[in-house]
Amino acid sequence: MEQTAAFEDDRLKLALDRALTGDAQAFADLVREHQGMVFSIAYHFLQDRSLAEDLAQEVFLELFQSIDRIQSPVHLTYWLRRVTANRCIDQGRKKHRRREMALEEAPEPMAASKHADPMLLERLQQSLATLPEKQRLVVIMRFQEGLGPAEIAEVLEIPVNTVKSTLHRSLADLRKGLTRKIREVRYAFF
Amino acid sequence: MHFSEDDLREALKRKDPGEGFINQVMARVNQSASENEPALTKPEKKTNGSFMAWWMHRPAWAMAVAAVLLLAFGIGGYQYSEYRHREDIRIAHENQQRLEEAERARDQAIMALEIARAKMNHVLQHAQLQAEPNEKIRRQRL
Repeated sequence: MEQTAAFEDDRLKLALDRALTGDAQAFADLVREHQGMVFSIAYHFLQDRSLAEDLAQEVFLELFQSIDRIQSPVHLTYWLRRVTANRCIDQGRKKHRRREMALEEAPEPMAASKHADPMLLERLQQSLATLPEKQRLVVIMRFQEGLGPAEIAEVLEIPVNTVKSTLHRSLADLRKGLTRKIREVRYAFF
Repeated sequence: MHFSEDDLREALKRKDPGEGFINQVMARVNQSASENEPALTKPEKKTNGSFMAWWMHRPAWAMAVAAVLLLAFGIGGYQYSEYRHREDIRIAHENQQRLEEAERARDQAIMALEIARAKMNHVLQHAQLQAEPNEKIRRQRL
């Protein structure tokens, strides 16, 4: 397992070095490696596939223009998360949208769901869309990217204690939002 | 309704942007490259970031070159300051000489005017004496 991770790191480092010398194929490899992460952060934040695609493309374009500042694969991942988060907030401010996701717009997950209730997952995503921007980003970084509070604090440039309290409040808000949705559904049917 | 953190992880699972995403990114990259000549086509371009990266791994001779340059600038600056000081003294000395010469010339001019005035007085007196009709008075004046 460690060997695989080391191999992966070496491969990315090589791709990064080659991209720095102007190798377009190496840059495409970097995009392929990180497209899922960047697109998913944008998609979970904006809940709009085309906006998320556009934002992700802009992030990679910015990466292309700033590639000489990237020092390592780890730095690349951190940089992409930070730039994507900042662009998400900018985009959210531009649009002022709290749009609910249409089912047909939903992209396919990268791996099939094993056990979760699809209706629950959909409602969770809808509730997430109602959270304020910073809370949404903290939840995405925690549960999509699996980052710890310190890493989230670094990416979003906020204090660790703020991350912890925001996470706590977000989970409470999500539970409240979910309960309210169930009541609305019950009221509609009965 | 309750949900677990695993449910949330499942709901926020990474999604695939689709087949054509890389092609779209590369098309935008190529368009940007042709418009702006960005970093990938000009890797030798030095930005502040690349300078900092170079500085972090600077070779040993860079410090020696920097020290030599600093020393050269220091010595050059000192010598220039000495030269300026010497020049100031020389110019002040020349000014002083010019002032003294001017004063001498002024004194000589004044003396020449004094001599001329004395001569003129003498000539005038003689002329007045010659014009005196009374012989007695003329002799007294002489």
